[in-house]
Amino acid sequence: MADATVLSLVLYLPLAGMLAIAAIPAGRDGAVRAFTLAVMVVQFLLSLVLYAHFDPAAPGLQAATRLPWIPAWGVSYIIGLDGYNILLVILTTFLGPLVTAGAFSAVTKEVKLFYAMVFLIQFAMLGTFVAQDLFLFYLFWEAMLIPMFLIIGIWGGERRIYATIKFFLYTAFGSILMLAAVIYLVWSLWSTAGITSFAFADLYKARLPLETQKWLLAAFALSFAIKVPMVPFHTWLPDAHVEAPTAGSVILAGVLLKMGTYGFMKLGFPLFPDATRLAAPMLAMLSVLSIVYGACLALVQTDIKKIIAYSSISHLGYVMLGLVSLDLLGIQGAIMQMVSHGLVAGGLFLMVGMIYERCHTRELAAYGGLAKVLPVYSVFFLILTLASVGLPTTSGFTGEFLVLLGAFNAAWKPAAVTIPVWVAGVAVTGVVLGALYMLWFAQRFLFGAERVPHGPVADLNLREKSILVILVAAVFWLGLFPDSAMKRTELAAREYQELVAAPRTPAATKLTGTLPAEAAR
Amino acid sequence: MNFTAVSIAMAPEHLLLAGIVTLLILEIASDKAKAALPIAVVFVAAASAAAAWLGFTGWTGAPFPGQFDLAPPASFTKAIVLALAVPVLLASKDDFGKGEFYPLVLSSLYGVCLLASAESFLTLFLGIELMSIPVYVLVLMGFRRPESAEAALKYLVLSGTASASFLMGASLMYGSTGSLALESFALALGSPRLLAGTAVVMVVSAFFLKAAIVPFHGWAPDAYEAASVPSTAYMAVLVKAGVLVAAARVFGKAPVAEPLAGLLAILPLVSIVWGNIAAMRQAGLRRMIAYSSIAHAGYLFFAFLGDGPGRFQAVVFYLATYGVMNILAFTALPSHPEDVERDRLENLKGLFRTHPFAALLIGMAMLSLAGIPPFPGFVGKFLIFKNVMAAGYTTYAVLGLVGSYLGIYFYLRVIQYMFMTPEAVSGGHAPSRGVAMGASLICLAGSILIAVLPGTFLARL
Repeated sequence: MADATVLSLVLYLPLAGMLAIAAIPAGRDGAVRAFTLAVMVVQFLLSLVLYAHFDPAAPGLQAATRLPWIPAWGVSYIIGLDGYNILLVILTTFLGPLVTAGAFSAVTKEVKLFYAMVFLIQFAMLGTFVAQDLFLFYLFWEAMLIPMFLIIGIWGGERRIYATIKFFLYTAFGSILMLAAVIYLVWSLWSTAGITSFAFADLYKARLPLETQKWLLAAFALSFAIKVPMVPFHTWLPDAHVEAPTAGSVILAGVLLKMGTYGFMKLGFPLFPDATRLAAPMLAMLSVLSIVYGACLALVQTDIKKIIAYSSISHLGYVMLGLVSLDLLGIQGAIMQMVSHGLVAGGLFLMVGMIYERCHTRELAAYGGLAKVLPVYSVFFLILTLASVGLPTTSGFTGEFLVLLGAFNAAWKPAAVTIPVWVAGVAVTGVVLGALYMLWFAQRFLFGAERVPHGPVADLNLREKSILVILVAAVFWLGLFPDSAMKRTELAAREYQELVAAPRTPAATKLTGTLPAEAAR
Repeated sequence: MNFTAVSIAMAPEHLLLAGIVTLLILEIASDKAKAALPIAVVFVAAASAAAAWLGFTGWTGAPFPGQFDLAPPASFTKAIVLALAVPVLLASKDDFGKGEFYPLVLSSLYGVCLLASAESFLTLFLGIELMSIPVYVLVLMGFRRPESAEAALKYLVLSGTASASFLMGASLMYGSTGSLALESFALALGSPRLLAGTAVVMVVSAFFLKAAIVPFHGWAPDAYEAASVPSTAYMAVLVKAGVLVAAARVFGKAPVAEPLAGLLAILPLVSIVWGNIAAMRQAGLRRMIAYSSIAHAGYLFFAFLGDGPGRFQAVVFYLATYGVMNILAFTALPSHPEDVERDRLENLKGLFRTHPFAALLIGMAMLSLAGIPPFPGFVGKFLIFKNVMAAGYTTYAVLGLVGSYLGIYFYLRVIQYMFMTPEAVSGGHAPSRGVAMGASLICLAGSILIAVLPGTFLARL
């Protein structure tokens, strides 16, 4: 009970913060920044309580709040923690204060509105993770778009309007088809099985004909794949990342992209297991395509932000591969990879923002030999680069390694899904490519002839150092002691595996594949 | 006919009538024209409260059997519509601080209330005319440029055509079923006779014309643009509400089958797509809202597909969400010495710098009209498309949703202009006025209420 209150507090604190910001008189930018940081820190500390109290052995929801909301439609307000979302919730609350502090010097116009939007997106992201009712989930899912739209559009770079509208229209297109699928799903459950509920727990019991599952999975998958983004739905991402302000990029890479993979794990695959198993080989191929294609594109970029943006596509390909492998290790690896990528890519974007504030360019060619000029910066940058490559002892290693293990397991052992061995094999080349583009990037960026645009520049200040120390500590902690986190996700990984592996089409006698209303027409 | 029953059941209408009489006496007897606004607001608010009270007490009955009856859903419809009129009245202070505006609006509202309770084609026709005729004058009262007269005439002629078509349909209905009661429409729907079919088509096309469904939409952009902002808000929300409520009354719970179902699915779909596409090219907010309201009329007529139950609820709930957000956009729009310049999208550039509160409210209204959660417009859209799917028109529902996606772009463009212009461009808008801000706050409160507690509203309709 107490935990439920804490979870509600964690969720609604940003919303309250947003409203409170409006009360701070205009012009007091310092007060706005300090207030936002304080609220974010409190939120993170509260979420640590949830993490500590989370019982890895207990099935079902923890810290749950259940209230009826729109009884006529079977919509209820259910929020709660489980193995699926616990790490992502912590990741979100962890990045919150870092994003806030990271934007202190970068955002100087419309400061009030900016932090109000950071609060709003924090609220919407947490809501998406903790929602356990499809209707509620969809509300939060869509609500995330609005603050991001404004963050890119108001504080972004030169082509920000183009980028932000592209971002909104891409993601909204997926969402609108998902909405159609949600309505169809709930309605068909109601008309065939008499279930009127949007609660995930009830939807998992639904038995749908294979044909229906295919269509609905296609709609959900399109929406989630755009968000991840998976190749070939990725073209909005580089534009959004390049034009977004640093804070926007960090939120985007750190948390927002995980929405897609989380959606697949929590909704797309478990709701339509039979269609998922059919589509698994194709999804695995797309994931590997994302891994390799993202890495190749990252290799040839000349814009620093674009390198990291494309590396995100590549890294999230691993997550997808882990999820479709349906192997316990692979699934757990996917969850770890989500968290790790959130930390590492978030950190890299923060560091790109820091150098951009000093040198005002993102052209890689303009830089060189930063290691001599900015030693502290370079150390942190190198650590994050190596974490991104997946060096053992960093968080990146745990996730990638487990995913590859899972993929080979799925390829060799006959199980619910079979992934072609060559697909798993190609995924491994992604590791090599990843090392290639990141290390080559670091080499050109940090070493070689000394080139500092708009130099001479000062090294990191105390605020920036603190941010990076905290971030790097988390990266190492996840790399060295993944056990604490992984034991919290294990039960959920098992549940996910069972849900997707077990056939769930209706018994042949019960249904013929047509829904009553269609038959009646 | 029981006197107390008549006075209680028609309390909202009586209050409106009392308001009209008071306003007219005031106009003749006194030159204190400033009192007109508060008086109108008080009477409309009282009428809304009376309707809500009738609804909550569950008052049911027919004071004029066969012509006018009352049940809680109708009462709540009246309460919602009248409540929507309050911010419109408040926002009219700058444009029509005094004079004929108020009695005209109250008469038109009387017509809307009649529509919600009408039981026969006669009362319905009375309601439609009572609602429409004052609006012709309202359009002309925005007379600041020559186009106003042209637009008002266009509206008058086309609306008159719709009325004629409706009357013709009603008389054919009478000829084929021998009754003017609204149930005869359901009979005619099921009848294979050509006469009955013609009657149905004439009545439906009258509704299409009045609600501006493509291809009967040509008058709407001109009329909306020519009228001054409060009149536009009134037309876009309350007149549309009246027409849709009337259509919902006429269709009742009758199941819609082929071939009418085809008409009811295709024309609204075309409206959604065309309304949203055409809205992209508009330079003024009023014209944009006109096209967007054509699209919204399309969503609303989607609610008529399939079997009856849930139809009235979906229409009224959607009207409430759509109405409150449209009015929010119009009332939050700061006034401008030049009416034409007031809503030019170009002039909205940088509005957030000069009028932050207004910009936030307009932004919310745009997102809600686009159907983006968590704003109330989404819940209304969800309900309608749920019904369309439940009626078995899955393809149309998906196409309709994709059509609604087309609309997102131009709503976003308004937000882009207001928030994403780097330097403060002053569009020349006057500082926001207290009364207009009050009006938008009422809308804001209403929309938050709908967004947080949609179940409460749905349970009552």
